[in-house]
Amino acid sequence: MTDSSFSSLDAKVVLASSSDESHPPENIVDGNINTFWMSTGMFPQEFIIRFPEPTTISALTVDSYNVKKLKIEKNISQSASQFESVTEKEFESTEGHLQTNAISLNPGSATHLRFIITSGYDHFVSVHKVSIKK
Amino acid sequence: MKLRAKCLLVGDAAVGKSSLICSDGTLKNYSMTTGVELVVKCINIPETPHSVEFYIFDSAGKEALVDACEKLWGEPSLFCLVFDLTNEQSFVNCGRWLERIRRHCRGFRVPGVLLGNKSDLSGRREVQASVAKEWAQSQGLEYHETSAKEMDSSDAPLLSLARAYYSLYQEDCVAAKNLTLG
Ligand SMILES: Nc1nc2c(ncn2[C@@H]2O[C@H](COP(=O)(O)OP(=O)(O)O)[C@@H](O)[C@H]2O)c(=O)[nH]1
Ligand SMILES: [Mg+2]
Repeated sequence: MTDSSFSSLDAKVVLASSSDESHPPENIVDGNINTFWMSTGMFPQEFIIRFPEPTTISALTVDSYNVKKLKIEKNISQSASQFESVTEKEFESTEGHLQTNAISLNPGSATHLRFIITSGYDHFVSVHKVSIKK
Repeated sequence: MKLRAKCLLVGDAAVGKSSLICSDGTLKNYSMTTGVELVVKCINIPETPHSVEFYIFDSAGKEALVDACEKLWGEPSLFCLVFDLTNEQSFVNCGRWLERIRRHCRGFRVPGVLLGNKSDLSGRREVQASVAKEWAQSQGLEYHETSAKEMDSSDAPLLSLARAYYSLYQEDCVAAKNLTLG
Protein backbone atom coordinates (compact mmCIF):
# COMPACT_ATOMS: atom_id res chain seq x y z
CA MET A 1 0.00 0.00 0.00
CA THR A 2 1.18 3.49 -0.84
CA ASP A 3 -0.85 5.21 1.85
CA SER A 4 1.18 7.42 4.12
CA SER A 5 0.65 6.47 7.71
CA PHE A 6 -0.48 8.87 10.37
CA SER A 7 2.77 8.73 12.26
CA SER A 8 4.66 10.35 9.40
CA LEU A 9 2.02 13.10 9.48
CA ASP A 10 2.60 13.74 13.16
CA ALA A 11 -1.05 13.18 14.01
CA LYS A 12 -2.09 12.65 17.63
CA VAL A 13 -4.94 10.92 19.40
CA VAL A 14 -6.35 13.65 21.64
CA LEU A 15 -9.23 11.72 23.22
CA ALA A 16 -10.23 8.10 23.70
CA SER A 17 -13.17 6.69 25.62
CA SER A 18 -11.15 3.78 26.99
CA SER A 19 -7.66 3.55 28.38
CA ASP A 20 -5.68 0.48 29.28
CA GLU A 21 -2.06 1.55 29.77
CA SER A 22 -0.94 -1.65 28.10
CA HIS A 23 -2.92 -0.80 24.96
CA PRO A 24 -3.04 3.00 24.78
CA PRO A 25 -4.73 5.01 22.02
CA GLU A 26 -1.37 6.22 20.64
CA ASN A 27 -1.05 2.72 19.21
CA ILE A 28 -3.65 3.68 16.60
CA VAL A 29 -1.32 6.22 14.97
CA ASP A 30 2.09 4.60 15.49
CA GLY A 31 1.93 3.03 12.02
CA ASN A 32 2.34 -0.47 13.46
CA ILE A 33 -0.46 -3.01 13.05
CA ASN A 34 0.96 -5.16 15.84
CA THR A 35 0.18 -2.57 18.49
CA PHE A 36 -3.41 -1.61 19.21
CA TRP A 37 -5.85 0.35 21.31
CA MET A 38 -8.30 -1.83 23.18
CA SER A 39 -11.77 -0.72 24.23
CA THR A 40 -12.55 -1.61 27.84
CA GLY A 41 -16.25 -2.36 27.65
CA MET A 42 -19.66 -1.10 26.51
CA PHE A 43 -20.59 0.91 23.44
CA PRO A 44 -20.33 3.51 22.01
CA GLN A 45 -16.55 3.91 22.08
CA GLU A 46 -14.70 6.74 20.42
CA PHE A 47 -11.37 8.32 19.69
CA ILE A 48 -10.39 11.64 18.13
CA ILE A 49 -7.30 12.23 15.99
CA ARG A 50 -5.79 15.68 15.52
CA PHE A 51 -3.59 16.88 12.65
CA PRO A 52 -1.15 19.72 13.22
CA GLU A 53 -2.75 21.64 10.35
CA PRO A 54 -5.81 21.30 8.09
CA THR A 55 -5.21 18.21 6.00
CA THR A 56 -6.95 17.06 2.85
CA ILE A 57 -8.04 13.45 3.05
CA SER A 58 -9.47 11.45 0.18
CA ALA A 59 -9.46 8.01 1.81
CA LEU A 60 -8.80 6.16 5.04
CA THR A 61 -7.84 2.64 5.96
CA VAL A 62 -8.80 1.17 9.30
CA ASP A 63 -7.22 -2.01 10.67
CA SER A 64 -9.30 -3.34 13.53
CA TYR A 65 -10.79 -6.40 15.19
CA ASN A 66 -14.41 -7.07 16.18
CA VAL A 67 -15.60 -3.60 15.14
CA LYS A 68 -19.13 -3.78 13.73
CA LYS A 69 -20.45 -0.26 13.18
CA LEU A 70 -18.24 2.78 12.80
CA LYS A 71 -19.23 6.43 12.33
CA ILE A 72 -16.67 8.98 11.19
CA GLU A 73 -16.96 12.71 11.78
CA LYS A 74 -14.60 15.62 11.14
CA ASN A 75 -14.06 19.30 11.77
CA ILE A 76 -11.69 22.04 10.66
CA SER A 77 -11.55 23.78 14.01
CA GLN A 78 -8.69 24.14 16.50
CA SER A 79 -10.75 22.49 19.22
CA ALA A 80 -12.16 18.96 19.29
CA SER A 81 -15.80 20.01 19.09
CA GLN A 82 -18.57 20.75 16.58
CA PHE A 83 -18.11 17.79 14.33
CA GLU A 84 -19.93 17.12 11.10
CA SER A 85 -20.82 13.64 9.97
CA VAL A 86 -18.63 12.14 7.24
CA THR A 87 -19.67 8.53 6.81
CA GLU A 88 -21.04 5.44 8.52
CA LYS A 89 -19.80 1.88 7.86
CA GLU A 90 -20.61 -1.66 8.91
CA PHE A 91 -17.56 -3.94 8.89
CA GLU A 92 -17.70 -7.68 8.35
CA SER A 93 -16.60 -9.88 11.19
CA THR A 94 -13.32 -11.77 10.84
CA GLU A 95 -11.93 -14.73 12.74
CA GLY A 96 -8.26 -14.65 13.73
CA HIS A 97 -7.24 -11.96 11.27
CA LEU A 98 -7.51 -8.18 11.06
CA GLN A 99 -10.45 -6.33 9.58
CA THR A 100 -8.87 -4.11 6.94
CA ASN A 101 -11.29 -1.61 5.48
CA ALA A 102 -10.65 1.18 3.00
CA ILE A 103 -13.09 4.05 3.25
CA SER A 104 -13.21 6.74 0.59
CA LEU A 105 -14.28 10.21 1.64
CA ASN A 106 -15.58 13.24 -0.20
CA PRO A 107 -12.36 15.23 -0.53
CA GLY A 108 -12.15 17.99 2.01
CA SER A 109 -9.98 19.44 4.69
CA ALA A 110 -9.95 18.32 8.33
CA THR A 111 -8.04 19.11 11.52
CA HIS A 112 -9.82 16.48 13.64
CA LEU A 113 -11.28 13.11 12.77
CA ARG A 114 -13.64 11.50 15.23
CA PHE A 115 -14.24 7.74 15.14
CA ILE A 116 -17.30 6.44 16.96
CA ILE A 117 -17.69 2.69 17.29
CA THR A 118 -21.37 2.12 17.96
CA SER A 119 -21.32 -1.67 18.10
CA GLY A 120 -18.99 -4.65 18.01
CA TYR A 121 -18.86 -8.39 17.42
CA ASP A 122 -17.57 -8.90 20.97
CA HIS A 123 -17.59 -7.01 24.29
CA PHE A 124 -14.16 -5.56 23.47
CA VAL A 125 -12.80 -4.29 20.17
CA SER A 126 -9.32 -3.26 19.06
CA VAL A 127 -8.10 -0.65 16.58
CA HIS A 128 -4.60 -1.36 15.30
CA LYS A 129 -3.95 1.31 12.71
CA VAL A 130 -5.60 4.18 10.90
CA SER A 131 -3.91 5.54 7.81
CA ILE A 132 -4.92 8.15 5.27
CA LYS A 133 -4.52 8.94 1.62
CA LYS A 134 -4.33 12.63 0.76
CA MET B 1 -7.31 -0.03 34.34
CA LYS B 2 -11.08 0.20 34.60
CA LEU B 3 -13.39 -2.06 32.62
CA ARG B 4 -17.01 -1.06 32.08
CA ALA B 5 -19.88 -3.50 32.13
CA LYS B 6 -23.59 -3.26 31.55
CA CYS B 7 -25.13 -5.59 34.12
CA LEU B 8 -28.80 -6.58 34.06
CA LEU B 9 -30.44 -7.17 37.45
CA VAL B 10 -33.48 -9.31 36.83
CA GLY B 11 -36.03 -11.44 38.67
CA ASP B 12 -39.60 -11.33 40.00
CA ALA B 13 -40.89 -8.26 41.81
CA ALA B 14 -40.09 -8.11 45.55
CA VAL B 15 -37.31 -10.75 45.57
CA GLY B 16 -34.91 -8.06 46.84
CA LYS B 17 -33.07 -6.82 43.76
CA SER B 18 -33.10 -3.14 44.69
CA SER B 19 -32.28 -3.84 48.34
CA LEU B 20 -29.27 -5.95 47.33
CA ILE B 21 -27.79 -3.30 45.13
CA CYS B 22 -28.39 -0.32 47.37
CA SER B 23 -24.91 0.45 48.57
CA ASP B 24 -25.35 1.07 52.30
CA GLY B 25 -26.86 -2.38 52.87
CA THR B 26 -29.84 -1.07 54.83
CA LEU B 27 -33.30 -2.17 53.85
CA LYS B 28 -35.42 0.52 52.32
CA ASN B 29 -39.14 0.53 52.91
CA TYR B 30 -40.90 -1.62 50.38
CA SER B 31 -41.45 0.26 47.15
CA MET B 32 -42.26 -1.31 43.84
CA THR B 33 -39.65 -0.33 41.29
CA THR B 34 -41.18 1.27 38.26
CA GLY B 35 -39.43 0.47 35.02
CA VAL B 36 -35.64 0.46 35.25
CA GLU B 37 -33.22 2.17 37.60
CA LEU B 38 -29.54 2.64 36.87
CA VAL B 39 -27.04 2.13 39.69
CA VAL B 40 -23.30 2.53 39.18
CA LYS B 41 -20.96 0.46 41.33
CA CYS B 42 -17.22 -0.03 41.14
CA ILE B 43 -15.61 -3.32 42.20
CA ASN B 44 -11.85 -3.76 42.60
CA ILE B 45 -10.38 -7.07 41.54
CA PRO B 46 -8.19 -8.20 44.45
CA GLU B 47 -4.46 -8.58 43.82
CA THR B 48 -4.65 -6.59 40.61
CA PRO B 49 -4.63 -2.84 39.96
CA HIS B 50 -7.84 -3.32 37.94
CA SER B 51 -11.50 -2.64 38.58
CA VAL B 52 -14.85 -3.09 36.91
CA GLU B 53 -17.41 -0.31 36.83
CA PHE B 54 -20.86 -1.88 36.81
CA TYR B 55 -23.75 -0.04 35.18
CA ILE B 56 -26.51 -2.00 36.87
CA PHE B 57 -29.91 -1.92 35.21
CA ASP B 58 -32.35 -2.76 37.99
CA SER B 59 -35.63 -3.87 36.38
CA ALA B 60 -38.93 -3.84 38.25
CA GLY B 61 -39.82 -7.44 37.50
CA LYS B 62 -43.50 -6.61 37.25
CA GLU B 63 -45.10 -8.47 34.38
CA ALA B 64 -46.87 -5.34 33.13
CA LEU B 65 -43.57 -3.45 32.84
CA VAL B 66 -41.49 -6.18 31.24
CA ASP B 67 -41.81 -4.90 27.68
CA ALA B 68 -40.77 -1.39 28.70
CA CYS B 69 -37.80 -2.76 30.68
CA GLU B 70 -36.63 -5.01 27.90
CA LYS B 71 -36.10 -1.99 25.64
CA LEU B 72 -33.20 -1.05 27.89
CA TRP B 73 -31.70 -4.51 28.05
CA GLY B 74 -29.75 -4.35 24.76
CA GLU B 75 -26.16 -5.61 24.64
CA PRO B 76 -25.61 -6.70 28.25
CA SER B 77 -22.10 -7.57 29.42
CA LEU B 78 -23.18 -9.43 32.57
CA PHE B 79 -26.31 -10.29 34.52
CA CYS B 80 -27.61 -11.14 38.00
CA LEU B 81 -30.75 -13.26 38.13
CA VAL B 82 -32.38 -13.06 41.56
CA PHE B 83 -35.06 -15.13 43.30
CA ASP B 84 -36.41 -15.21 46.84
CA LEU B 85 -35.44 -18.33 48.82
CA THR B 86 -38.73 -18.07 50.72
CA ASN B 87 -40.84 -18.04 47.54
CA GLU B 88 -40.63 -21.10 45.32
CA GLN B 89 -42.54 -19.49 42.45
CA SER B 90 -39.84 -16.81 42.12
CA PHE B 91 -37.33 -19.64 41.55
CA VAL B 92 -39.56 -21.42 39.01
CA ASN B 93 -39.85 -18.15 37.08
CA CYS B 94 -36.08 -17.87 36.67
CA GLY B 95 -36.22 -20.01 33.55
CA ARG B 96 -38.42 -17.46 31.83
CA TRP B 97 -36.25 -14.56 32.96
CA LEU B 98 -33.18 -16.32 31.64
CA GLU B 99 -34.80 -16.83 28.23
CA ARG B 100 -35.59 -13.14 28.09
CA ILE B 101 -32.04 -12.17 29.00
CA ARG B 102 -30.54 -14.51 26.43
CA ARG B 103 -32.55 -12.92 23.64
CA HIS B 104 -30.43 -9.79 24.18
CA CYS B 105 -27.02 -11.46 24.29
CA ARG B 106 -26.41 -11.68 20.50
CA GLY B 107 -24.40 -14.86 20.86
CA PHE B 108 -21.79 -13.10 23.06
CA ARG B 109 -20.43 -14.87 26.10
CA VAL B 110 -22.33 -13.09 28.89
CA PRO B 111 -21.32 -14.30 32.36
CA GLY B 112 -24.21 -14.50 34.83
CA VAL B 113 -24.93 -15.36 38.45
CA LEU B 114 -28.03 -16.81 40.09
CA LEU B 115 -28.76 -15.28 43.50
CA GLY B 116 -30.97 -16.92 46.11
CA ASN B 117 -31.84 -13.93 48.29
CA LYS B 118 -33.28 -13.49 51.83
CA SER B 119 -31.04 -16.21 53.27
CA ASP B 120 -31.57 -14.58 56.70
CA LEU B 121 -35.17 -15.90 56.74
CA SER B 122 -33.98 -19.49 57.17
CA GLY B 123 -37.20 -20.66 58.85
CA ARG B 124 -39.23 -19.77 55.78
CA ARG B 125 -36.96 -21.29 53.15
CA GLU B 126 -38.84 -22.96 50.26
CA VAL B 127 -35.94 -23.58 47.87
CA GLN B 128 -33.09 -25.91 48.83
CA ALA B 129 -29.55 -24.78 48.03
CA SER B 130 -28.74 -28.04 46.27
CA VAL B 131 -31.70 -27.68 43.87
CA ALA B 132 -30.88 -24.06 43.02
CA LYS B 133 -27.21 -24.86 42.60
CA GLU B 134 -27.87 -27.76 40.26
CA TRP B 135 -30.14 -25.68 38.06
CA ALA B 136 -27.61 -22.80 38.02
CA GLN B 137 -24.84 -25.16 36.94
CA SER B 138 -26.98 -26.65 34.18
CA GLN B 139 -27.42 -23.09 32.86
CA GLY B 140 -23.77 -22.13 33.18
CA LEU B 141 -24.38 -19.74 36.09
CA GLU B 142 -22.56 -19.41 39.37
CA TYR B 143 -24.86 -19.74 42.42
CA HIS B 144 -24.71 -17.51 45.51
CA GLU B 145 -27.01 -17.11 48.49
CA THR B 146 -27.39 -13.55 49.70
CA SER B 147 -29.15 -11.41 52.22
CA ALA B 148 -29.73 -7.73 51.79
CA LYS B 149 -29.54 -7.53 55.60
CA GLU B 150 -25.91 -8.56 55.64
CA MET B 151 -23.58 -5.81 54.53
CA ASP B 152 -21.09 -7.58 52.30
CA SER B 153 -23.11 -10.38 50.83
CA SER B 154 -23.93 -8.53 47.63
CA ASP B 155 -20.29 -7.90 46.78
CA ALA B 156 -19.34 -11.57 46.42
CA PRO B 157 -21.54 -12.14 43.34
CA LEU B 158 -20.37 -8.88 41.74
CA LEU B 159 -16.78 -9.82 42.43
CA SER B 160 -17.20 -13.15 40.68
CA LEU B 161 -18.80 -11.38 37.71
CA ALA B 162 -15.95 -8.85 37.69
CA ARG B 163 -13.42 -11.67 37.57
CA ALA B 164 -15.24 -13.44 34.74
CA TYR B 165 -15.46 -10.22 32.76
CA TYR B 166 -11.80 -9.45 33.32
CA SER B 167 -10.79 -12.86 31.99
CA LEU B 168 -12.89 -12.28 28.85
CA TYR B 169 -10.98 -9.03 28.44
CA GLN B 170 -7.64 -10.75 28.82
CA GLU B 171 -8.64 -13.39 26.25
CA ASP B 172 -9.62 -10.68 23.79
CA CYS B 173 -6.28 -8.89 24.31
CA VAL B 174 -4.43 -12.12 23.56
CA ALA B 175 -6.57 -12.67 20.46
CA ALA B 176 -5.84 -9.13 19.26
CA LYS B 177 -2.10 -9.70 19.74
CA ASN B 178 -2.13 -12.86 17.66
CA LEU B 179 -4.00 -11.59 14.62
CA THR B 180 -2.68 -12.09 11.14
CA LEU B 181 -3.11 -9.69 8.24
CA GLY B 182 -6.52 -9.76 6.55
N1 LIG C 1 -35.50 -10.40 55.33
C1 LIG C 1 -35.11 -9.93 54.16
N2 LIG C 1 -35.89 -9.07 53.47
C2 LIG C 1 -35.46 -8.60 52.29
C3 LIG C 1 -34.21 -8.99 51.73
N3 LIG C 1 -34.05 -8.36 50.54
C4 LIG C 1 -35.14 -7.62 50.36
N4 LIG C 1 -36.01 -7.74 51.39
C5 LIG C 1 -37.32 -7.11 51.52
O1 LIG C 1 -38.13 -7.56 50.44
C6 LIG C 1 -38.94 -6.51 49.95
C7 LIG C 1 -38.72 -6.28 48.46
O2 LIG C 1 -37.41 -5.78 48.23
P1 LIG C 1 -37.00 -4.97 46.93
O3 LIG C 1 -35.55 -4.71 47.02
O4 LIG C 1 -37.89 -3.80 46.72
O5 LIG C 1 -37.31 -6.05 45.80
P2 LIG C 1 -37.24 -5.89 44.20
O6 LIG C 1 -38.65 -5.63 43.73
O7 LIG C 1 -36.74 -7.21 43.69
O8 LIG C 1 -36.30 -4.77 43.90
C8 LIG C 1 -38.62 -5.30 50.80
O9 LIG C 1 -39.59 -5.22 51.83
C9 LIG C 1 -37.27 -5.61 51.39
O10 LIG C 1 -37.09 -4.99 52.63
C10 LIG C 1 -33.39 -9.91 52.47
O11 LIG C 1 -32.32 -10.32 52.08
N5 LIG C 1 -33.91 -10.35 53.69
MG1 LIG D 1 -36.65 -3.13 42.83
